[in-house]
Amino acid sequence: MGATLFVQQLINGVSLGSLYALIAVGYTMVYGILRLINFAHGDLLMVSAYAAIYGILLFSLPWFFSFPLAIIATGAVGILLDRAAYKPLRQAPRISLLISAIGASFLMENLALVIVGGVPKPFPRPEFFSHVIQAGDLHIQVLTIYSPLMTLVLVLGLLYIVFKTRAGKAMRAASQDFETTRLMGINLDRIIALTFLLGSTLAGAGGIMWAMKYPQINPFIGVIPGFKAFIAAVLGGIGSIVGAVIGGFVLGLFEILIVALLPGLAEYRDAFAFLLLIVVLLFRPTGIMGEPVIQ
Amino acid sequence: MNDKLKFCLNIGTLFLLFGVIFLFGRYGSGYQIRILNDIGIFITLAVSYNLVNGVCGLLHLGPNGFIAIGAYTSALLSMTPAEKELNFILDHVIWPLSVIQLPFAVSLLAAGFMAALFAFFISFPVLRVRGDYLAIVTLGFGEVVRVLCNAGQSVTNGPLGLKGLYPHTNLWWSWGVAALAVIVIKKLIDSNYGLAMKAIREDETAARAMGVDPFRRLMLAFLISAFFSGIAGGLLAHLITTISPGLFTFVLTFNLLIIIVVGGLGSTTGAVIGAVLFAWGGEALRIVERPMQMGSFTIPGIPGMRMVIFSLILMLVILFARKGIMGRRELSWSFLASKFAELKGTQTHQ
Amino acid sequence: MNSFFQMRQVTKEFGGLRAVSDFSIALARGELTGLIGPNGAGKTTVFNMITGILKPTRGDIIWNGEDISRLPAHMITARGISRTFQNIKLFGDMSSLENVMVSFHYSMDSTFLSAMLGLPKHRREEKRIREQSLKYLEEAGLGRLAFEKAQNLPYGLQRKLEIARALATGPGLLLLDEPAAGMNPVEKNELADFILRIREKHEITIFLIEHDMKFVMSICERIKVIHYGQSIAEGSPVEVRSNPEVIRAYLGDSFHAQG
Repeated sequence: MGATLFVQQLINGVSLGSLYALIAVGYTMVYGILRLINFAHGDLLMVSAYAAIYGILLFSLPWFFSFPLAIIATGAVGILLDRAAYKPLRQAPRISLLISAIGASFLMENLALVIVGGVPKPFPRPEFFSHVIQAGDLHIQVLTIYSPLMTLVLVLGLLYIVFKTRAGKAMRAASQDFETTRLMGINLDRIIALTFLLGSTLAGAGGIMWAMKYPQINPFIGVIPGFKAFIAAVLGGIGSIVGAVIGGFVLGLFEILIVALLPGLAEYRDAFAFLLLIVVLLFRPTGIMGEPVIQ
Repeated sequence: MNDKLKFCLNIGTLFLLFGVIFLFGRYGSGYQIRILNDIGIFITLAVSYNLVNGVCGLLHLGPNGFIAIGAYTSALLSMTPAEKELNFILDHVIWPLSVIQLPFAVSLLAAGFMAALFAFFISFPVLRVRGDYLAIVTLGFGEVVRVLCNAGQSVTNGPLGLKGLYPHTNLWWSWGVAALAVIVIKKLIDSNYGLAMKAIREDETAARAMGVDPFRRLMLAFLISAFFSGIAGGLLAHLITTISPGLFTFVLTFNLLIIIVVGGLGSTTGAVIGAVLFAWGGEALRIVERPMQMGSFTIPGIPGMRMVIFSLILMLVILFARKGIMGRRELSWSFLASKFAELKGTQTHQ
Repeated sequence: MNSFFQMRQVTKEFGGLRAVSDFSIALARGELTGLIGPNGAGKTTVFNMITGILKPTRGDIIWNGEDISRLPAHMITARGISRTFQNIKLFGDMSSLENVMVSFHYSMDSTFLSAMLGLPKHRREEKRIREQSLKYLEEAGLGRLAFEKAQNLPYGLQRKLEIARALATGPGLLLLDEPAAGMNPVEKNELADFILRIREKHEITIFLIEHDMKFVMSICERIKVIHYGQSIAEGSPVEVRSNPEVIRAYLGDSFHAQG
């Protein structure tokens, strides 16, 4: 494989990885506090995409209104998800929470199916994101550059919140020791809601990016990327925000490069992610960064 | 209530069951027979799934993988070489599958063993973890199986699947296997083996301290569950006579999950009840996806509505009635006898 | 001394923290030994290492001539060491009888296949297990509560059930982790009698952790004192009670010396 192609694929891998990273962060944050795998998290991608579509098509909003609104709406859906499906089960056995998460995921997907119908909708990608940059032999879609940038900005913003604000400190405390944090009078429900808000907002941003990259939108587009993002979070060390980001990039690169190097195995690309998961769980279950605490 | 009486009652019930099967087989409509076959197969699936998720307390999300393995194994072994030639148009099927053909019963057994073999190998990574991790790993396994079925052109015929299977499955097969599965699995759960599994569910550390080896015990449950799931897969394949990878997605696992949660996680009786409700109700619910006539109005069918209702049911049960219908209780002759005695008692008082 | 249980220079480190250092002890057959020390001294860690829940960082644990320090917990139980827990760990949703029956699992002869097929050999074995389990329950005074769910039992009886369950594994060495915790004086006296009775009837060696000094002094023949993970004294109750090291360790941690 030529050098140009290699660089091209490298950039693609980083770009894909940045999307996984955005979604992985939400998983890792919720797991850090609630020790719950939010199966419905991946579906937020889909919610964001449809919200953006309807903003543009139904309400004729320009994209720079529709996109942020969609992202905010997704954040709100995340909070709603917690309230409806997880909050009532705070004291219940873990298996109930997991089942509720699965149920919520299916509900969201099929509700979307009922509402929007089975025909995939094309995502109206704005001109702004459709340019192609030429650098020598390389053809780079501008979107491929924007994604990692967006991820960087959002993650830095998130890290600021988590490490430099009081709310963030409370989140970190809650992920270390749930009970004690509650006993110290901190309103856990608000902290949890904040966690969902932040994670879901990032997922919403990821959803818009994803929709521009793969513009055929159907109610199930969040399923596979959701799983892969979860794998990325585990890879990076579930509970660690930085780990989730690293894991996302590693997984994105791994996926693109495997397919580039062994094109015959392209059909198996999804299976590779799961195999990677099994390997990680077998040999280093705590992932790259370590303990299940928000850090 | 002594053992002899219970034994007689059990045998009696079996005879009754087979009597009913016979009658339906002779006089039932095509629709009724199809539903009954579905129920039978789902009972087998539910009861074996409940063994791992309910009795052992593991969140195993990969039964679709084992069902697929069973379905394909059974199909590939029962089809004649000529039938396989017809199906495998893109790529020739590998040897020895190209020349082999086995009787249906043997193919079912092979289906069970094949699924159990896979379960054996993935026990090693799967049982190193618990809780959410186990859920994800088993989910991944189910997905990997589906992907492999899709991609393994020369073994499974890829996305085209296998068509034209002979409809071997009849009421005797589906209910015979169901009865066997229920009896055999119930006996296991009621034995000391079942106690060990429940102990692991209650407190794994304490179980280990009392001499129970969690790995061996959980693997046993996993293998037995996979075995019956595989056989059920074979029955399913020869009922609907066409299989493809798209049949064995996570949705199948989800349906099984609903069945055992609604029935009562940990209860074999509950699993049976859940299976009956699901197979029957699931059919009944199909009407919401087709246009309905109400007077002079036509209510349009809404695709996806069925799954919305299922998801809602699951959510409602898990949020408000977590124990499901039976909780962990079982229906037993002793229980029925005591209820009967109560009733008689109140009647004499009057 | 005929010591068939020995711990030699056993150390447990968690990262930078050393929970137990160079702990050594030898138990003779049939002895009733106590392990005492202020809170957090490392007593339960010692028990956890003996029973295989934790692996020692250094040192060996010899039982019947074999080093068991690297074995998994269930194998150690199969070799004859059983225990109760500081925080009761019964199988709550199962009945008292079922709790005890689990202890017979590792030594079962019949295979799972014979269980699934309901073969006579299996049914005979199940019957035998049930009968023997009932005997253990009756010995602990729990016969009437055989079918009661373990989580519904009153606290004191739950502790006794745990002991009955541990006994049912047929151990040569029984570890009791704070068996008298939370009991009133009457219950404690009963428990003390119970422990002495089972020691004699089942011919077992008992090693127990307790905070109640009166309790320990009354039934233990020998006492080992541990503080900050290290052994600081060992001897008869009288010797230990008047040992200045021991007194200092306890007074330094604001402890009430009872009796």
